[in-house]
Order: sequence, then C-alpha cells, then structure tokens
Amino acid sequence: MKSGFLSVSGAAKTFGAATVLDGVDLSMGRGEFISLLGPSGCGKTTLLRIVAGLMTPDQGKVALDGEDITRRPPHRRDVSVVFQNYALFPHLSVAENVAFGLKARGAAKDAIAPAVTKYLGLVQMSAFAGRSIKALSGGQQQRVAVARALAVGPKLLLLDEPFSALDRKLREAMQIDLKRILREVGTTAIFVTHDQDEALTMSDRIAVMHRGRIEQLGTPAEIYHSPATPFALGFVGLSTQLPGKVVRAADGMVEIETAAGPIRARANFIPGSAVLVGVRPERIAIGEAKANRIEAALADAAFQGARVQLHFAAPAGGQILAEAPILPAQAGPGTRLDLSWDVEDTLVYPAPDLAA
Amino acid sequence: MSKAGRFDPVLLLAVPAVLYLALVYGIPLLVLLGRSMLAGGAPSLAPFIGFFSDGFSWIVIGNTIRIAVLVTLLCLVIGYPTALALARAKGLAQALILVAIILPLSVGVVVKAFAWQIVLRRDGVVSQIMTGIGLWDEPQRLLFTEAGLVIGAANVFVPFMILPIYSVLKLIDPRLGEAAATLGASPVYRFFKVALPLSLPGIVTGIAFVFSMAASMYVIPNLLIGDRFQTLATMTGRSFLFMRNEQLGSTTAVVLLVLTVAVVVASAALSKRLGGAS
Ligand SMILES: Nc1ncnc2c1ncn2[C@@H]1O[C@H](COP(=O)(O)OP(=O)(O)OP(=O)(O)O)[C@@H](O)[C@H]1O
Ligand SMILES: [Mg+2]
Repeated sequence: MKSGFLSVSGAAKTFGAATVLDGVDLSMGRGEFISLLGPSGCGKTTLLRIVAGLMTPDQGKVALDGEDITRRPPHRRDVSVVFQNYALFPHLSVAENVAFGLKARGAAKDAIAPAVTKYLGLVQMSAFAGRSIKALSGGQQQRVAVARALAVGPKLLLLDEPFSALDRKLREAMQIDLKRILREVGTTAIFVTHDQDEALTMSDRIAVMHRGRIEQLGTPAEIYHSPATPFALGFVGLSTQLPGKVVRAADGMVEIETAAGPIRARANFIPGSAVLVGVRPERIAIGEAKANRIEAALADAAFQGARVQLHFAAPAGGQILAEAPILPAQAGPGTRLDLSWDVEDTLVYPAPDLAA
Repeated sequence: MSKAGRFDPVLLLAVPAVLYLALVYGIPLLVLLGRSMLAGGAPSLAPFIGFFSDGFSWIVIGNTIRIAVLVTLLCLVIGYPTALALARAKGLAQALILVAIILPLSVGVVVKAFAWQIVLRRDGVVSQIMTGIGLWDEPQRLLFTEAGLVIGAANVFVPFMILPIYSVLKLIDPRLGEAAATLGASPVYRFFKVALPLSLPGIVTGIAFVFSMAASMYVIPNLLIGDRFQTLATMTGRSFLFMRNEQLGSTTAVVLLVLTVAVVVASAALSKRLGGAS
C-alpha cells in the first residue's frame, strides 16, 4: 500500500563482538506512525540513530522519500530526533531551543517567533518561554525537546521514549496532541516506547523488536491478537502460556498434550513437535464449556478497577492467567476453577529454543 | 545559587590557600606598595604621578599589553583547535596528545627559549623554510624581534590555554552536537552556536592564565629580545637587580599587578556571566 516513504533494508550494526542490529527491514508510508516496542538494549536507539544519520550501518541501506540517504550527513536529512536524554541546549532559553532548528535552516526572522509560540503552546510550555533549561523539570524538558523537534517541520520525526518522564495524565494529553499535530502536518514518525499501552493506542503499526531484529510488524490489533512469535506474545499484553507436544495432526488441526490437559488448535505441525500454546486472558471464560478446557487452582487475584486479573498455578514453563469483571463467588487461593476457550482463540508456536 | 546570608561551611576549605597566598603574595605586595609610596617619608602618590607623566612609561605599558595580547591571541588560535582535537580523540591518541602538551612543561623556560634562539636565528629553521618556499626573498632574523618574542612565549604558554578549554569541551554532552545536526545545523553552524558558546568559560580561563603570565614574563623577553625592548616586568627586574632603584621597581610592579588583576577579574566576571548560561 502506502509503503516506501522510509525504507530501511538489511540494516546491521555490531559493536565489537556484540551484534546490536541484525538485519533490520522496515518500510513505512508517508504520514504513518510506527512504534518500536522492545526490551531495553534490543537496539531501538541504534536503529533510530542509523535512520537519523548519527551512525552508519555496517550493512544495509536507508532510503527516504525515494532517495538513498545511507551516507548522507544528519543535517541534510530532514529527520529530527527527540533524544532519550532530551539533549536540550543548556546555554539557550526554552524559546531559543525551539527556534534553533529554524534559525539553523535560515528561516525568515518573522517566521520564527510565531512558530516558537505555536509549538510551545502545543506542549503547554508557553509560560516557560524565557526560562533557562536548567530551571526545568525532567517532564518539562521532554516537552521542550518535542517542541524543538516539531518546529522544523521535518519529513520524518524520530522520538526516543519522549514521554517516559511524564505523569499519566499529561502523557495521555501529549499523546493525543502529538497524534493530532502529526496528522495535521502529515509528518511520518517512529516512536520508541517501553509502554505497550502507549504503542497500542497511538500507532498505525507496531514493530516488535527483539535482539536486534524486528520480530513482527503489524497493526496493534494484529500484534495483540495474532502475535507472530512467542516473544511478541509475551512482550505485548498478557497471556496464558503452556508448553506441550503435538500428538495428532490432521486437516490443519492439531491436538496438543500439555500438563494441564489436551488442547486443540488450528495449526500445522507434525506430530511429536514441541510447541507453546498461548491464549489471551480475555478469551478465557470461567465456568463455561468451550472447546478447550482446563482446570486450574487460583493462586492470586489482582484487582485492577474494571477487571480482576486471576493468576493460577501453572505447570513448569508455563503460566495461566484469566480476567473477570469481578472475583467469582467464593473463590479464594487454592479454589479450582474451570477455564475454557475456543479453538480459534488458541495460538500455537514452535517451542522457543531455551538456549537462544 | 544559594542566597546571601547563610554561610556555607565548605568555604572554610579555602582558608589554607588564602593564608598561604596572604603570606607569600599579600605581605610582600603590601611591602612593595609601601616602599613605592613611602619612599619620601610620608605616604604619597608622587612615584606614580612621576611614572605616569614619563612618556617612556607609556611605551613600556604599551609594550606589555601589546605583547601579552598577541601572545594570548596566538595561544588561543593554536590552542582551541588542539583542545577540540584532544576532546574528540580517544584512547591512545588522546593520551599521546595530552603527553605532548604536558611534557614540555617539565622542560625549563630557559631551555625552551634557548631552543627558540636557534630556531629564530637568521640561519635558523624558520628562516630557511620561509626562503625555501619563496615567501621571503632573503634569510631574515626573527630573534630579537617582537614577532620572535610572541612566537617563543606562545610556545611556552600554550598548554595553559589548551588545558582549561579541553576540560570544558570534554564535559559537553556529544548529544548536543547531534541534536543540532538533526535540526539541520551544518558543522560550522554547530561549532559557532553550540560548541563555542559552551566552551567560553574554558576560553576565558585560558585567556586569564596566558595573559597574566605573558604580561609578567621576565626570562623569555630577556633571552629572545633583549634590553632594547622593555615591558613592565623586565623594567621591574632591571630596577631591582641592576639599577638598585627600589622605588621605580615597586611602582612598575604595582602597575603590572593592577593590570593583570584587572584582566583576570574581568575575565572571571565574564566567565561567571557566560557560565551562568552553561
Ligand atoms: N556506542 C556503543 N558502543 C558499544 N555498545 C553500544 C553502543 N551503543 C549501544 N551499544 C549497545 O547496543 C545495545 C543496544 O543499544 P540501544 O541503545 O540501541 O538499546 P535500546 O533498545 O535503545 O535500549 P533502551 O530501551 O534501554 O534505551 C546495548 O546492548 C548497548 O549496550
Ligand atoms: Mg534507547
């Protein structure tokens, strides 16, 4: 579809003996908003640095808007970055920081002040325009960094955990504002976050990164409902996970033997394969009779307001997790409950190589 | 940024240094000032009035300031790029540059000045190179010229320009340059709008060091330019050592002191103002 505005192909980077990026491919369309989601150290910042031109990949290519920019210096890329540690200019005021990029690009004087006012307003920092950077809190600095990067109207905006220091309310307000601005201006953005809710709510697509690779690139619903790998299943959202072994396979259906009981799923494996079964918690019904049924002892119940999260004792290498609007009557630690879900809601993966 | 009124006990740590300075500088300086002003019996400004009304004194003051300014500028021009390279270098390269800068400090000024005498002679290396590449028509002597003095003195003092600038540059977060680059700033723009303003405190410190040392140097002018050329410092030395004119010596010493203190205080104030933004 609208792919190819930014395209990263086969990007690889090693530091000494450590492979930090292991052949990353990423293609995104103009105006698209992609989140990079992955654990600390998986290479998110490294990938952004390569796209921004602050680092050259050992292998691979970066193309933006039809031009190969792999070796183009950062100041001629039109890619602005909100850095993980903000990197605001300490010798300049808040307003001067926001004006910096426009001045550097030789923007007309009478165009700079209105832009500064506009973007400071957007991040709710108008009252601080004259302040020194050193007199700002972490969250305020973060917002100035976002305004500074937006003010130049870049082709591509890279945000490295830009909201990590904000309280929830401000963060949600900023998420909405940022999305609105990007939509208005039509800016393409890559957004690094540790916060999966943030990724799920904001993104057109999510790239799940793991050990220097993109394990899955898909819409939030695809990532959540059909995680491509056990890592994506475990990293995004909660899940029940049961290791097992395929005992029968026919017509695209398999029967899996697990320590919690037999489970049927739509998948293609040869009998004898070691697999991992996954189920999202909201798919699991308590006390109903759906196709896949197990019995488990309640271990813990975590109250979460609108829902209660139920943790059950699980066989080795697995976890059992369900959700309910309220705690089932008379249920307490040790109570055995019937859990069941549909065949369609059963995810099956080759058993993850524990050594890897 | 603590408000006045509350005493910070950490300041007490400066007491030994202050006592030491008072002992080895403060008291002798007062004695000097006293000798200069009390020479006629009663305290009087007569020695100063006499000094400043002599045209030759103004030539000497002019010499002192001109040489100190030129040496400082030359050190800045040579020292800043060196400091940049040093801050950027890593590992072995950095260690080597640092050694190359600091090791010469252990070579005495006399030895260095002697080396410059050889280099700056009519048949010295500089002269040979300049005639060799055709910039000079015939060999010239730089020794016993102001240019030779400036070059030789800058060589001695340049580490005191490099090190303070380097120590400030090293502390600048490299992300700032990267952020400027991603905002569209060219390398030259980045230098003038980010690295340079952030390193100003180091520049100011280096200027204060080099200027005060260059204004008060005594051995180097003696070896590289000789008697014909007088600065406040050489005149002070001659007055005490050869002319036995303690009053003149004390007067020139006090004038020199006021000059360097003015420059150092001005640069400290400047550094504080600029530092307030870094
Ligand atoms: N300049 C470097 N030299 C050596 N190793 C590096 C360098 N930069 C990054 N690394 C290593 O590369 C790996 C990936 O780093 P990166 O900063 O890309 O991670 P990240 O996904 O952004 O993590 P986080 O979420 O913690 O910010 C880490 O293991 C890190 O230690
Ligand atoms: Mg990072």
